[in-house]
Amino acid sequence: MLKAITLAENKGFILSNLFALLIIGLTRFLEPESGILIFSEFVIVPFAMGVISIWCWRKLELKSKTLAAYSCVNVFIAAAMSAIFLREGFICLIIVSPLLMVFTMMGAFAGRAMFKKNNQTLNVSVFVMLFGIFIFDSLSVHHFENKVADTITINAPPAEVWKYVVAYKRIETPGKYWLFRIGMPSPVQSTAEGYYLGAKRKCIFSNGYVFDEKIVTYNENKDLTFDITNQPRDPEIMGHIDILRGQFLLKDNGNGTTTLTGNSWYRLYVFPVWYYDIWAESVTRNVHLRVMEHIKELSEAK
Amino acid sequence: MFNFVVKYWGFLKFVPGLPHLFDAWLKLWTLITNPKLLDWIDDIEKEVLKRDNTTATTHKFGGLQFNHENKELGHIHSNGLLDMLLNRELKQQLIQQNSRVKDHHSLKNTGWLSFYMETHGDKEFVLELFEMAYKVQMDKTNNKRNIL
Repeated sequence: MLKAITLAENKGFILSNLFALLIIGLTRFLEPESGILIFSEFVIVPFAMGVISIWCWRKLELKSKTLAAYSCVNVFIAAAMSAIFLREGFICLIIVSPLLMVFTMMGAFAGRAMFKKNNQTLNVSVFVMLFGIFIFDSLSVHHFENKVADTITINAPPAEVWKYVVAYKRIETPGKYWLFRIGMPSPVQSTAEGYYLGAKRKCIFSNGYVFDEKIVTYNENKDLTFDITNQPRDPEIMGHIDILRGQFLLKDNGNGTTTLTGNSWYRLYVFPVWYYDIWAESVTRNVHLRVMEHIKELSEAK
Repeated sequence: MFNFVVKYWGFLKFVPGLPHLFDAWLKLWTLITNPKLLDWIDDIEKEVLKRDNTTATTHKFGGLQFNHENKELGHIHSNGLLDMLLNRELKQQLIQQNSRVKDHHSLKNTGWLSFYMETHGDKEFVLELFEMAYKVQMDKTNNKRNIL
């Protein structure tokens, strides 16, 4: 057992993952309530993991292919630990893995070049710089909100579409979006206690999640806006994004058709946004399209 | 994908770290699609560095750069794309001989050429190209010395 741990290959995996566990654990311990996962945790930590692992492997003279593959193995281990200790969900780990792999790989190859030079001043400077970025990032304010809008044309007048915008019966067809296919919950039904301002609305997801909503704008055949008053906290993506508000806008095209626009406002709790917002937009867009295509189907049915 | 990114997002190459991030992404992609390519790049590095006064460094826009007496011979991106500086005449000859040798993907009408490594045989060809680049550099250096 001890021999296995001290093997250079295994040491690279163990030490780098222990480092990541320690840093993530420390940030959770210092800020248990924030729930925000910052840029450094997805960029600096994997980069440092790469550097630490290559430091353990520096005498092995690994080929680039092996080093790249080992970096991916390192990320699989980190993902497994995140599932165990942070209770992260499978979908989350799929989303985060490419980012972690690229930065772990960057760290490993940068580290290889660094240790070849064997310049202690350079090595220390890199670690100090990474640590500095981590501290600066940890102390910075992280707040990001965005809006996604999608539009479709429905071959039915607004009055017909409106009936299904407020509430619609269960969607029976499986989701086409690849993340829905592999288990991400998708919207299946919406119910409302009434067709009036202030009415409570529920959006039900495929795994039974319920988003509680309240209608805040009720402009018949034109505008339905609702605030999300309660949403499930789940290890999957739901813990990292809050849907704040939803809206359906109907525009009469004057030819018996309606342009339906779906808007959603959300807040992200994971950074960097240049990576996660791509996913958030994609997921939100596909939630919109699934609901809006269902509304189209119901409205156009004779 | 590489050409798309270079064409539409190429202006971002001046953001520090971004080209290297992109190159790491290319490396991941290569590991999945053509892992042997990473070995060939290692083999090329080993061979090129056997020559006197040659060094390997990280290219400023991502990839592995080879230098002779601190002058760049060429660089290989992690998707196997070789960019090499020869001279216009030599480049034209090579383009006529091998249809896969192209004008550099962004520096047109210069001595720079581009070549995508795809097979094991390409590794040998790339080594021949480095041999040429090395000779071109040596000639330049000798000419300068003669002038002085």
